[in-house]
Amino acid sequence: MSELLRVTDLAVSYGSVPAVDGVSLTIEPGELRVILGANGAGKTTIIKTLLGLLRPRAGQIRLDGQTDLLRLRPHEIHRLGIAWVPEGRQLWNTLTVVDNLRLGGFAEPDKALVDRRIAAMFERFPRLRERQDQIAGSLSGGEQQMVAIARALISAPRLLLMDEPSLGLAPKVVRDVFGLVREINKMGIAILMVEQNARQALRVANWAYLLETGQIVESGQADEIGRKESVQAVFLGGHA
Amino acid sequence: MELFLQQLANGLVIGSTYSVVAIGFALAFTVLRVINFAHPDIFMVGMFAGLAATAQWPAFGLLVAMVAGAAGAGVVGFVLERTVIAPLRGRDVLMTLIGTLGVAIVLQNGMALIVGPDPVAYPALLPRRFIDIGPVALTVRQVANFAICLLLLGLVSLYVRGTSYGRATRAIAERPDVAAAFGVNVARICQITILLASMMAGVAAVSVGMLYGSASAFVGLLYGLKAFICMLVAGNRYFEGVMVVGLAIGIIEALVTGYLSSSLRDAAAFFVLIGVLYFRPNGLFGSYNA
Amino acid sequence: MNFAAFEPVVIFTLLNVVMALGLYITALSGQLSMATAAIAGVGGYTSAVLTVKLGWPFLPAVVAAALAGALVGTLLALITLKMRDFILKLTTLAFGEALAVLAFNFDYIGGANSFTGIGLKTTIWTALLATAIALYVAWRFDASRLGLASRAVRDDPGAASAMGISIAFMRAITFAVGGALVAMGGAIQGHYMLVISPHDLGFFVSLNFIIFLLFGGLQTLWGPVFGAVLLTALPEMLRFTNEYRLILYGLIIVLVVLLRPDGLLTRTPTGRAIRILGYTLVPARPVASRASELSARPLPAYLLRRQAAE
Repeated sequence: MSELLRVTDLAVSYGSVPAVDGVSLTIEPGELRVILGANGAGKTTIIKTLLGLLRPRAGQIRLDGQTDLLRLRPHEIHRLGIAWVPEGRQLWNTLTVVDNLRLGGFAEPDKALVDRRIAAMFERFPRLRERQDQIAGSLSGGEQQMVAIARALISAPRLLLMDEPSLGLAPKVVRDVFGLVREINKMGIAILMVEQNARQALRVANWAYLLETGQIVESGQADEIGRKESVQAVFLGGHA
Repeated sequence: MELFLQQLANGLVIGSTYSVVAIGFALAFTVLRVINFAHPDIFMVGMFAGLAATAQWPAFGLLVAMVAGAAGAGVVGFVLERTVIAPLRGRDVLMTLIGTLGVAIVLQNGMALIVGPDPVAYPALLPRRFIDIGPVALTVRQVANFAICLLLLGLVSLYVRGTSYGRATRAIAERPDVAAAFGVNVARICQITILLASMMAGVAAVSVGMLYGSASAFVGLLYGLKAFICMLVAGNRYFEGVMVVGLAIGIIEALVTGYLSSSLRDAAAFFVLIGVLYFRPNGLFGSYNA
Repeated sequence: MNFAAFEPVVIFTLLNVVMALGLYITALSGQLSMATAAIAGVGGYTSAVLTVKLGWPFLPAVVAAALAGALVGTLLALITLKMRDFILKLTTLAFGEALAVLAFNFDYIGGANSFTGIGLKTTIWTALLATAIALYVAWRFDASRLGLASRAVRDDPGAASAMGISIAFMRAITFAVGGALVAMGGAIQGHYMLVISPHDLGFFVSLNFIIFLLFGGLQTLWGPVFGAVLLTALPEMLRFTNEYRLILYGLIIVLVVLLRPDGLLTRTPTGRAIRILGYTLVPARPVASRASELSARPLPAYLLRRQAAE
């Protein structure tokens, strides 16, 4: 099997409250898939379970068709090439920008390589180079999102899990972020993105899942999903 | 004026010890999110380990004692983390407090059984001479204690700010989930953190034992509460904050002893605590939102 | 069997039960106070001063002590009103210690030399009566709407507040009633021990009470009772082990915390069955009937937050 990640019948509960039930999805290397859903639909729950931060009640997660991710702890999962851009950025706000990036490369034993990658990030994001010794908490929302994405890229992941990257950002910044997402995907990194901003997300993705109260109700090519009436009504303001 | 300077100096000496013990608490609290009640007793174990080592190998004096102190305290701390703290991770912080309290009781009374409940003489690792630094008179021991503690604090600061593991430690303190998701083995770093905190306390304990010339199985009680207060007053956001507060409380206590009365000395720390917490419930330098 | 030899143990145990129940009531609103010993000390000193220095009879002195405890409890509740969880516990700790230090320095009540010369007024019947009162108060409070409102504040202050329950009021009430019971216990204990020392107000003694509660479990009022009985009687029973006594005590604490972190007595999530180590002590009563009864009555006015601009 050439697929990168396969999730089968995932069920996750918080205590006795089910959050996600019977969710199955796959992603091939280099693909960009998006999970659409409203607040509370269970999107972040899925991401956290993939990262090993939550334990599911049932289901399977396999990487490369063989590695059972449920047996692994979060830091081990990361070392297999999965990186995270968390909801709300979740930078280490008391650390400097450059320290945040260095931590992104914590798992890489070759520190010189990490330094080179950080330098490359600063090339791509000159604004961050200006602010590299600034405390991360003092940056603007858009800049923090850049740091969060850069931090995830430092480990040269194969799969990027992005949780609502456009949340809380100004419209121009949102466009920049989605442009960045497309750029990263073109570099060959698979992206599984969770979003509420359906319009922009469907433009960059090749496949979309629709998540409603913990279950996947629609799954298909991004443009087809975009044309469906249910999606239009809920997410796209009712017209194509 | 001379009284002021003298008490200032005395305060710095005692405060530096508070700082070292408080940093140990603070590391456990911010990184592992537990109140390690047994930390002062790990300090005490270090003190006696140094004592035992000096009895065995009197030739090498202070150095051997400090190494033994670090080793003894480190072992106890490491075992504590594996057996009591790690299994209780995620539960109410009060549970770990009680669990470590149980261990503290065992350590105190166990040691009292071995050496007796009364204070024991500590070997004279450094001479008793006085040194005059301007208007201030300090003993060699006081100066050494201050230097040792300052060195330990400096090392901690260097570790936490300048090394990869130190960065990871701060990352765990602020956002443990995100740290784990970026390849940080949280369990391993927690072990290392407790080990370092314990070793540090062990070295400081030997220094204190040498300073006062005595060791007691119950010495932890005195330093424990003060160090705990330092941690609370400082807040857990900046480790250096705890260091500064430790010195400050030492100075305040010394000034109170010098100008008011020595029986109010222990109260001073508490009043500082209530005062600070009332106006800044997250401590002087703030805390992480945890 | 020489029963008289057991009297001290029994009286201590009973009084610890009384004070543990006081802490339990305070904890119902969600905050474990670490000033219990200090409030007990306030009660002890108050009643001692009244009987020894002012010649009051025993019973009114105890009542006055209880009132003093209620006042101090309310004060503590007000000081910690805006604080959250952990900082609150610490402030109660500091409060207790500050009271201890004041006792140290207050020569009128003996200062560091303790308050001596208290008359022996306590008998086993006094202790039993106090325990009965404490149990009754705890039981009635627990089962009343006040108890329900307290638990609502404990479990979800935001939701409780949104339903009109005043967090300030509930904290004050639980601290006051709890403080009264604790002070009563302290007063009676003072008249048995005949000496009150500032050390008794310290943080370690307060921690003891917290351990009673955590041991026995916070979910039912029998938990603190059980915890107090077990942990007061246990060191006595271990007397035969002599110098290993405290070490064993410490080990037992560690073991219980590791093996049964929820306390020894638990309540099942639904219904009111009380269990110990998996065995059911008291079977569940069906919940449905009580629920309809409770929802029919409106919340009393004094529980509602003031409608001022907030």
